[in-house]
Amino acid sequence: MYLKLNSINKIFAETDKETLQDISLEIEKGEFICIVGPSGCGKSTLLNLVAGLDTPSSGEIILDGQAVTGPGADRVVMFQEAALYPWLNVMQNVMFGLAAAGHSKKEQQEIAERYLKLVQLWHYKDYPIHQISGGMKQRTALARALALDSKLLLMDEPFSALDKQTINILRAELEEIWEKTQKTILYVTHSVEEAIYFADRVIVMAENPGRIKEIIPIDLKRPRNIEDHEFTSLRKRILDQVQLSARKSVALEFDAQEEAK
Amino acid sequence: MNVKKIAGSIAFYVGLIALWQLLYTASTDWFSWAKPYAIPHPSGVWKSITSLVSNGTLQTAIVNSMLRVLIGFLIACLIGIILGILIINSEYLARNLKPLILGVQTLPSICWVPFAILWFGLNQSAIIFVVVMGSAFGIALAVENGIKNVPPLYIKAAKTMGVSSKNLYLHVIFPAALPSFVAGLKQGWSFAWRALMSGEVMSNTVGLGYTLTLGRDLADINQVMTVMLVIILIGILIDKGIFTTLENHILRKRGLL
Repeated sequence: MYLKLNSINKIFAETDKETLQDISLEIEKGEFICIVGPSGCGKSTLLNLVAGLDTPSSGEIILDGQAVTGPGADRVVMFQEAALYPWLNVMQNVMFGLAAAGHSKKEQQEIAERYLKLVQLWHYKDYPIHQISGGMKQRTALARALALDSKLLLMDEPFSALDKQTINILRAELEEIWEKTQKTILYVTHSVEEAIYFADRVIVMAENPGRIKEIIPIDLKRPRNIEDHEFTSLRKRILDQVQLSARKSVALEFDAQEEAK
Repeated sequence: MNVKKIAGSIAFYVGLIALWQLLYTASTDWFSWAKPYAIPHPSGVWKSITSLVSNGTLQTAIVNSMLRVLIGFLIACLIGIILGILIINSEYLARNLKPLILGVQTLPSICWVPFAILWFGLNQSAIIFVVVMGSAFGIALAVENGIKNVPPLYIKAAKTMGVSSKNLYLHVIFPAALPSFVAGLKQGWSFAWRALMSGEVMSNTVGLGYTLTLGRDLADINQVMTVMLVIILIGILIDKGIFTTLENHILRKRGLL
């Protein structure tokens, strides 16, 4: 087993709320795993724990035989905002992590070139960050993450701040890049459609407390067509699950308020 | 358009000087409101400038003053950056030391003059001390503020790329905080420049402040005015010529201007 989550619990000290309850998950090398769930189900928290940016209250995370104790370059994260550095240009941003990994200047340039070409941004290598579009920023961030050749790529709603057309282009690109690189990807999204489009398995989470509700293997042929009958029925099934849970939690909150009165 | 603007500026300053001359003539010759030796006038200032330049007094004073403020400012930057980083890394210091620094920063730099004279005597070091005390604390607060306002996402992203904590400062936090640092240094510089004058007026080592005091002692109000103008001019030159240019360059490069 490549990545193993062993009954993870997370309780934030500030609120004393049980954000994640007994999360256990096993992921094979090269798998594309998508996590969906209503907002507040702790899916981003789970990703942060795997990234090592936060520590679980109990349970352990093991990647390739090693326990996760803190952030590291073997688990690169791509965030909703590109998190590029505005004092560096496109190329320098991609080279940033490579310098930390101890690559020579020449290696940095070669690797950055390879990945900038992969995300089709080589032409823009000298552009300052503020002069490229939102979609290009995320492609730069993707190139930066891929360049580090991490064991695991963590993605936290990387496309959710983009417009519909750009999302469609980037989805196809990411799918193609994943096929080429065979990366193990853990992808958090609120879009059920996106999850079915990418995932080998979709993890559906529920909230209050955040837990895994169902794990759904997706066997549709790639590249997937979001207008396929199978696709749409699957989407409806998962969407119902997510919305049911969301509705329940809204109702719960409402009841709690009523009781407080 | 540009020519028009420049012509407008020239007209403004010529008008200002004419008004100055008019006020002088009115208050001394026409109505005798004031004693002529108490009011500076354009031609007197011009005479003062030429004599101070021809005997080299002004040049020496400027060089001495600039050297002092530069040394003082560099020491203040060093102290300010160290203090700022200490505060940002310790909640204890942030709670206890920061309010003290805020308070000391509001202290007019002239208040340090008695200490300076007692500890260093009436010399160069005393003035540099006043400059350091006048600007270091403002710089410390600016450094702390700049680092505090670095977007947490920049740091998170760097950590997940395996950047060590030493490199985090060097390659993420400092570059990200650079615009606030430069703004802080600019403010620190103006504090340093003011503190320099407080120190120099009190001391009797050659410099702009001393030349100004000398003008007062000789009852030469035109010389006082001349030195004041030079102080203003240098202040503007350094502020606009160096700090604002640097600031704009950094902001433009990041698309923030």
